[in-house]
Amino acid sequence: MNAFTIAALGLLAGFVPLGVVVLRAREVDALVALELCGVLATLCLMCLGEGFHRGVYFDVPVIAAVTTWIGGLVFARFLGRYL
Amino acid sequence: MSGNAIVDVLLGVAVAIELLCCLGVAVMRNVYDRLHYLSAATSVAPFLILAALLVREGLSSQTLDAIATVAILFIAGPLLVHATARAARRIDYGRPGVAPKGKEE
Repeated sequence: MNAFTIAALGLLAGFVPLGVVVLRAREVDALVALELCGVLATLCLMCLGEGFHRGVYFDVPVIAAVTTWIGGLVFARFLGRYL
Repeated sequence: MSGNAIVDVLLGVAVAIELLCCLGVAVMRNVYDRLHYLSAATSVAPFLILAALLVREGLSSQTLDAIATVAILFIAGPLLVHATARAARRIDYGRPGVAPKGKEE
C-alpha cells in the first residue's frame, strides 16, 4: 500500500453518503449525487493508476470523466423534460 | 519538506475536500445547495491530486493523461452543474423564460 492507494480507499468512503442520497432523495437530487459519484470514481481510478504504477490504467479515468459528463447531461435533459 | 511528505499532504487535503463535498451533498436540504458542493468537488480536489502526481512522477505520459482528465473535469463540471440546475428549475417552476402561473405581467 502506498499513499495513492490509501487515497483511493479514502475516496471510496465518499460513496456511502452519496448512495444514501441516491436511494432516499428525489430524482434531481439523486442526479447531483450520481454526478458526484462519477467525479469520485474518476479521481479514484486516477489514484489507483498511480498506486499500481501502470501507465495504461491512466486511460480509464479519461474515459470515465467523459462518460460522467455525457451521462449527466443526458440525465439532466431527460429529467428536465419528462418530470 | 521532502517530496513524499508533499505528496502525502496534497493527497490528504484532496481526499478531505472530496469527503466534505460528499457530506455536503448528503446534508444539504435542496438541490441548489447540493450543486455548490458538486462544483467544489470538480474544481479543487482534482488539481491537488494532479499536483501530487506531478510531484511524484514529473512530466510523463501518465501525468499528461491525468492533466487531460482534470481538464475535462474542470471544464465539464460547470456545464453539468448548469444543466442540472436548469433541469431542477424546470421541474420546480416550469420552463425557463416562461413566468410561473399567476406571475404574468
